[in-house]
Amino acid sequence: MGKGDGRGVLGAAEGIAVEQTLDQATGSPSSAAATDGGSFLGIPYGWPLALAVVALIIVMWIGREPMHRIVRQTFFFLGYMFMRWGTAFLEHGRNARAVTNEKIASFRADELQDRMLHLEEKMGKRTEQLARETGPILKKLDKATHELATSANAISDINLEDAAERAFRAALPSMESARGLTKVEKTIAQNTARTMNERLAPLRPALITIRNESPRLKEVAEKLVKIEHEFNKNASDVNKAFTEFEEIVRSEDRRKIASRASIVVPWLIAVLITAIALSGVALNFFLIERPMAEIVGEGARIGGVGLPTFAAIIVIFLEFVTGVILMDAAGFTRLIPAFHSMSAAGRRVMLVVSFCFLSLFSVMEMTLSIVREQIIEQQRETDRLAAQIIGPDLIARTAPAPEGAASAAEAPASTAPQRANVFGLELSTFAQLILAGVIPWLLAAAALPLETIIRNSVFILSIFASFALIFLAFVCKTISAVFKNVGVFLLAVYDFIIFLPLYIQRKVQARGAGADEPPTQRQKEPRQKGRKAPASDEDDAFVLSDPAPEKAPNRDKQRQPEQKLEKAS
Amino acid sequence: MIGRLAIAACALSLTALSACGLVTSTNRSVFFVFDVSGTYVKSVPDATKIANMTVAKLLPGDWVGASQISACSFSEKEIILQRQLPTTPSLASQAQRELFEELKAYAEQVKPAKYTDIRGALAQASAELKNRPEPERFIVLFSDMVGDYSKACDTSQFELDLKGIHVIAANVIKSDPGDPKKYFDLLAEWEATVVAAGGKWSLVSSPDQLPSLVAGLQ
Repeated sequence: MGKGDGRGVLGAAEGIAVEQTLDQATGSPSSAAATDGGSFLGIPYGWPLALAVVALIIVMWIGREPMHRIVRQTFFFLGYMFMRWGTAFLEHGRNARAVTNEKIASFRADELQDRMLHLEEKMGKRTEQLARETGPILKKLDKATHELATSANAISDINLEDAAERAFRAALPSMESARGLTKVEKTIAQNTARTMNERLAPLRPALITIRNESPRLKEVAEKLVKIEHEFNKNASDVNKAFTEFEEIVRSEDRRKIASRASIVVPWLIAVLITAIALSGVALNFFLIERPMAEIVGEGARIGGVGLPTFAAIIVIFLEFVTGVILMDAAGFTRLIPAFHSMSAAGRRVMLVVSFCFLSLFSVMEMTLSIVREQIIEQQRETDRLAAQIIGPDLIARTAPAPEGAASAAEAPASTAPQRANVFGLELSTFAQLILAGVIPWLLAAAALPLETIIRNSVFILSIFASFALIFLAFVCKTISAVFKNVGVFLLAVYDFIIFLPLYIQRKVQARGAGADEPPTQRQKEPRQKGRKAPASDEDDAFVLSDPAPEKAPNRDKQRQPEQKLEKAS
Repeated sequence: MIGRLAIAACALSLTALSACGLVTSTNRSVFFVFDVSGTYVKSVPDATKIANMTVAKLLPGDWVGASQISACSFSEKEIILQRQLPTTPSLASQAQRELFEELKAYAEQVKPAKYTDIRGALAQASAELKNRPEPERFIVLFSDMVGDYSKACDTSQFELDLKGIHVIAANVIKSDPGDPKKYFDLLAEWEATVVAAGGKWSLVSSPDQLPSLVAGLQ
């Protein structure tokens, strides 16, 4: 047994010695081991790797606190920073929306105020008119009523029974002298008829008056009903406008008020009208571009744009500006603030001046349209002359013949066809003339929707900006949440890796604390933990304390240093 | 009066804007060179007609010059005309018509020369164009491109400076129909010469191409 054991030990020792020799022969035992069993990051599998893992865990356990701080500082701080930005963006977005709502509401209030003033003015004028209209009507009414009353009195004064009785009595003497019954009847009837006729004689004018006055009275009554209806409608409009105005002024729900005012639809309509006007501008531009070369010359470019083109654009702008002034001075738009504070006389002067300028522009464009035709005609004549000089033989040699050159070269100028004309102008020139005269005025009308476009564009942009800020806030808060949760996850993974030394540490700490404290207190501790975290838990990674609690009462004061940090970042 | 005031105001504005570098010119200067040597003189009337076609397509403000290739071309005597078209279209049309007449009159009374000093003519045209402010410069050569220099005016070794100039050879007649290679070699040689002198070379084979090339028309 002992011999055997000795052999065995010897054998093992020999084996090791042989192995070591072999390793030394290769010169790299680790590499050989790695080749045999594999490695992880150059550490061979087996006990070296296990040792390295244990060492790493210990190092991680030792460096737990600083590593936790680094993760917290990095992820939590970034998360917090994004949260702050998100909050700020949200606040700004909401404020922007509130400001926009307020602006829209105030604009709507202004609109209603204008409408009320307009209705009031209309009602005032109507009242003046009403006094003139109702005066004669009332007189007529009074007269008709008086006459009707007189007639009614006259009718009521007549006692028909008494009249009949008197007639009968008056007929009695003649009845006595009469012999025959037929004669008696006849006499009674005659007397009655005469007496009744006499009695009813004053009644007839009254009845005629009633017959005449009744339709007039009806007409007057209808007029009055109509006037009352109009008045009621205006009053209702004013009341409605006033109610809305009051609601706008007093209501706390600004969003509701703002959402009532339509912004997009008038804006779209205005854009459509302006687009149509701009197509007119393009037409105008092509009409005056060529003849502008006669005024400003050709051959230069300003910022890449030909001089006549540039001049034509400037003229169109000037026409447009004049149109804007005209519309503002006339009170149709409110684009220029200076006009608001200007006196009525001043505005009238500006209106006349801008009207004169626009008329001049109109005349100028008409002249340019004639000049345009002249230039085209001259150019055509030059081409014709060039073609004549060149001759048909050379023209035939050119692949695409110059415009009308061949025919022009062959045909003399006198044989050119006579075209229809108006006042000595060709029909096309006459049409151009009309177009040139009308376009500046149409361009001026384009200023009308401009006000709506500018104002509503500002509202639309403001609303979009507020939504963009709110969306940005959402993005920032999402990023913040991502950072925070990634931080929490990393801390959890870290502590999971070192759970064993951490567990031992806690046990040891608990035992040490248990030895120092009385047992009753030790028993109470878990209950207290359930309610409130102990001071030592601040360092515990599993209890994640937010660096800035959301609902702290003295929030602003606590966050002051962090705000500084944020500014610095 | 109003027109003059407007032009004066525009001139002032342009001066102010030029100072800022915003204003650039679109004008071009075109110099026609007619070969009047014995082999080409018969083609001069056709050449003037093609020149007329080009003049008709020029824009107001463009400059036109013309000279002839003779025995000693580098001389003021060989310059036929120099004229700038007015900047207003109506006056420019009038000036174009006058140019037609001048070129026509020249074609009617042209006299043949014994030698063909093409280089001298190119140097003359180049010198004239260098003094012009127009940004685009063209020399239009109406010639068979066969140089024949006299002893008195041998400019065959003269180094040309054609920087910024577009040289267009138009209506180049084939002087030797039996040897096409010679014709193409000659054109290639001239192209190399022009390009070496810093210029741009173009050959126009049909008359309608010239106005398109000079006036930038499609």
